[in-house]
Amino acid sequence: MDGAAGEEGVVNPCTVTTGFFLLRGCGRPAVAGCARCGRGLCQGHAAQNGGICPECSAPATEDFYHPYWTDGYRRRYYTESASAYNDPYWYSTFDTYDRGAFDQGGDWASGGGDFDGDFDGSDFVDS
Amino acid sequence: MFYRKQKAALARFHPLHQALVHEHRLSVTLPRDAWEPLIQSCAQHRAHIRRRKWALPDEVPLVLVPLVRVLSRDLRRTGTIGVTADLTGPEAAGKAGPQQSLQVRRPIRRVLQWYAFDPWLAVRAELRDGSTLDIAVVDRVRFRKITKTNPRGKIKTKTKSKTLRVITVTRRLPKGAVLTRPASPPPPWIRVRIKDGPRPVIRLRARIPNAPRSSGLPNHILHLSAEAFRWTAPQARRAS
Repeated sequence: MDGAAGEEGVVNPCTVTTGFFLLRGCGRPAVAGCARCGRGLCQGHAAQNGGICPECSAPATEDFYHPYWTDGYRRRYYTESASAYNDPYWYSTFDTYDRGAFDQGGDWASGGGDFDGDFDGSDFVDS
Repeated sequence: MFYRKQKAALARFHPLHQALVHEHRLSVTLPRDAWEPLIQSCAQHRAHIRRRKWALPDEVPLVLVPLVRVLSRDLRRTGTIGVTADLTGPEAAGKAGPQQSLQVRRPIRRVLQWYAFDPWLAVRAELRDGSTLDIAVVDRVRFRKITKTNPRGKIKTKTKSKTLRVITVTRRLPKGAVLTRPASPPPPWIRVRIKDGPRPVIRLRARIPNAPRSSGLPNHILHLSAEAFRWTAPQARRAS
């Protein structure tokens, strides 16, 4: 799924997160709810895994040939890389819905304070 | 006729899959959806081919396939991924540099040392935000061929090698893109260089000593790539 449509103007958009580094919502009109978590799914995402959203059906597999391997790997990658970079902001590029599924009740799930944006300067950095 | 069934199975594989098996090389640029038939063809390899001579290089399932899978998630339908892979290894002809003799003392009779330069992977992807991501992996391998005499006068030779892997990731952003410095610096093993301007460029470099040939490499590449994306602001939906 490309997720080319925007969320603007769609009353009930598909809430599946697409992409790997460039995350964004699918945004197509939702036609059904996920059979497990109830989130809205567009026609394409509903048909992809038999009515289950990619996050719920993400295979916990190391088989790189599996067509949906990246769905399961993406979460693991973001938690690992946020830890490696000591950068909670990177981890927070997932939205609260995505993060809440595996970090329920934590500070991350609250949705507040993740996007302070208090960066200063854009000069060359050399680590 | 030997290997008749395996030969027939091999002939049914994707042409690029066959090139990987026979030549251990691949140089192709394909649109996003055209990679899936090649990946599915490679997935069938172990089920049909047992002959060691026709084995798929380890780098294909452990490095190429995960990288293509990950990058294709960030492509438009018309976006392309280009891969140039030379999986013949650092000992292949043409990769070794000049040999030099090192100073030795008994019981060692002679040490020959040479370096091999093996740029074995280059990947280029056109991402859906208009940026391009280039990944290059180069192995610099030091070889030492040591000849020594044991107490009974036998002459024995062994060759040792040591690999230094250099991974370079370059992200060229579209015109007008704005860079924002990430909240925290990258890990010390990553070197970051930024070229600001109308078309900013983020260049990352990591040197990994004693690197195994393939296992863990996608993680290294992807963790390195993360830095290139930390410099660009999250999209509007993320801040809502």
